[in-house]
Amino acid sequence: MTTTETVAAVVKVLAPYIGDTMARSATEAHCQKLGIAAANSVSPDQLDSLLGKLGGGLNIFLGREKSAAVIGEVRKTLGAPGAAP
Amino acid sequence: MTGAARFAWFVVGLAVALYVGWAFAPDSAFYTQLLNGHRLLGIASLLKIACLLAGAVWAFACRDLLEAGNPARPAWFLLSLGLLSMLAGQLCLAPFQIVSGETPFPGPGDIFYLLAYPFLISALFVFLNAYREAGLPLGPAFERVLLSAAVAVLAAFILRPVAATPGPLLDRILTIAYPALDLVLLVPLVLLLRMALRLRGGHAGEVWLLLLTGFVFMCAGDICFAYFQSLGEEHLDPFVHATFILAYALVAGGAHRQLRILRS
Repeated sequence: MTTTETVAAVVKVLAPYIGDTMARSATEAHCQKLGIAAANSVSPDQLDSLLGKLGGGLNIFLGREKSAAVIGEVRKTLGAPGAAP
Repeated sequence: MTGAARFAWFVVGLAVALYVGWAFAPDSAFYTQLLNGHRLLGIASLLKIACLLAGAVWAFACRDLLEAGNPARPAWFLLSLGLLSMLAGQLCLAPFQIVSGETPFPGPGDIFYLLAYPFLISALFVFLNAYREAGLPLGPAFERVLLSAAVAVLAAFILRPVAATPGPLLDRILTIAYPALDLVLLVPLVLLLRMALRLRGGHAGEVWLLLLTGFVFMCAGDICFAYFQSLGEEHLDPFVHATFILAYALVAGGAHRQLRILRS
């Protein structure tokens, strides 16, 4: 999956909780900080780091449990390992 | 929105309409025969108590549901303490308002109302710091300096006529203290409002829309109270009641929305 597709999928899940603008800007900012280039595909390690960073931010708005559930939802959407069956 | 929440907002809307109507048509039969000033003051007092109690309990429940170490946890606790302090203030006023239809000013309630401000101001600053950690931009430092300067100018503009009003020293100090503290509250409020705009469309955005609108109404209520008190325009008090009922209900609504997110 490319970075653009990953960002779009993450934003789709996060937007109902923190709004489209915040979801997009946070995801793009973390991608940039983690050196995930827009044109390339996202490696599993990079995805783990990205979701870890996003989860940390979400904690503040949603609490740890809800935040973990939302990140699980993102993993499921992306078909990433660690997603709830 | 649940049926109970819809009903609660309907009651708040009805109460606001009741007090605005009182300000516009105080001599109508509805406000002189069916409901008089004494009864309206008592109803306002009970509504404020209900909203403040609900807000304090829900804010504390939010604190309780957030794990230790979550940067937003102390902010919800401080918000809860601020609302609790306001509740104590309102509980001091309630016997006078319900029994004799009078609001003592200054009175013992003012101690608690004033005490609420350090809690509320700290709560907003802690929220600000927590959301900055979550990645929401605080904006450049010069903007914050500019905002503080604008608030200082606004303070001079708003407080001058209030300060110039003759009267007992304690009355004057309190009449100035409320809007002055509100203006301090305005600094983190504006910064949070800017951050909250980025959350629009999401559940967290709804929380902040309710909380921040509530705080804006709280500031407006205090400023109106100071003006009406110092200018002797007490007949406009119904607007102050409507503003405070709405303010407390909005803040309580924000805490309740956050609680629903945490419990979902």
